[in-house]
Amino acid sequence: MEATATPRTQEEVKAGTAKVTVGEVTLRKFELSDVDAMMAWASDPEVAAFCRWEPYESTKPLLAFLRDTVLPHPWFRAICVSGAVVGAVSVSPTSERCRRELGYVLARAHWGKGVATAAVRRALRDVFADLEPEGLRRVEALVDVGNPASQRVVEKAGFRREGVLRRHYWHKGRARDMVMYSLLSDDPLPE
Amino acid sequence: MEVQQGGAPAPAAELVVSLREFTLSDADAEAFMSWASDPRVVRFQRRDAYEHVDQARRYIADHVLPHPWYRAICAGAGAPLPVVGSISVKPGPAEDGRLFRASVGYRVAHAHWGRGVATRAVRAAAEAVFAAWPWLLRLEAVADVENPASQRVLEKAGFVREGVLRKYILLKGRPRDMVMFSIVVDADTDRRRQQNKPDGP
Repeated sequence: MEATATPRTQEEVKAGTAKVTVGEVTLRKFELSDVDAMMAWASDPEVAAFCRWEPYESTKPLLAFLRDTVLPHPWFRAICVSGAVVGAVSVSPTSERCRRELGYVLARAHWGKGVATAAVRRALRDVFADLEPEGLRRVEALVDVGNPASQRVVEKAGFRREGVLRRHYWHKGRARDMVMYSLLSDDPLPE
Repeated sequence: MEVQQGGAPAPAAELVVSLREFTLSDADAEAFMSWASDPRVVRFQRRDAYEHVDQARRYIADHVLPHPWYRAICAGAGAPLPVVGSISVKPGPAEDGRLFRASVGYRVAHAHWGRGVATRAVRAAAEAVFAAWPWLLRLEAVADVENPASQRVLEKAGFVREGVLRKYILLKGRPRDMVMFSIVVDADTDRRRQQNKPDGP
């Protein structure tokens, strides 16, 4: 699966609820042995709803995806909470050398705790450090207009909303309107 | 002397603009040079200005003729109408193997700026590709933030301004902020969602 996802937060974060601190969320490269942890979100229809892929029913095609797409990918990381793999974040090339596209996916058990926001912030810091020397100036995120939870994730991670690109993205049989966000290499990263 | 009350300006003399395919003729290559060699026109293009007509000849043969949709803009007076610019529509990018988008770009020789040539050409091209490609749901165009003339052309041609995409495209090695415009087919009504603007250059 591509990590183009967008978790839908079902409940508001209540005042006083402990949020995951940035220190507990780490990123690392994937390994083939992560396939079982990946099934936790890859098989979940609620997670798959805003992704391009259908929920996985077995680990075999997921292993193929891990081997053929994730491992050779220029920038694909596992999101870890206290060392356990709970999601993925990627920054993918586009037709322009100066811009790449963010994608992320998170297991539903970890929604609503600030994990995605922390993972995206960390990913942006790392990807600009890695790729600005190669000309990267812009990371963009396209979020479905019907997915406010994911819009909040990228907004809290410091992205700037640029506008709605209408019928811009093909998703499960329909051309969808997407909100375009960007973070530039010289934008401040909120901390 | 009449006092203008405001509202529509006096109508311009009727300007004929038509589109046709390019040929391998010397005349078309020379006409191509009238904009392709002009720094004022190529300023907002990826390519540097051409210096020799052979470059235009080669570009027409290698890029224009095999292109899915590339037309010469003809305008002015005389028969045949002289070639004063070009306009092209590039399908894609496809997603999941699915074509549903396309992007339009155009260039007009400097001598013919400011008379509505580009606006008419863009309108004609949009009509033509929506008719020719039933799969087309979104036709988009970008204009540099420092190119308000091109932004006006797109607005007058019925495109909707969607926003400024920062450092979106590399132009001659530098990342540029671009204004994104589009005409889309409405998901519910199958009719085109574009803006209504009064006619005029």
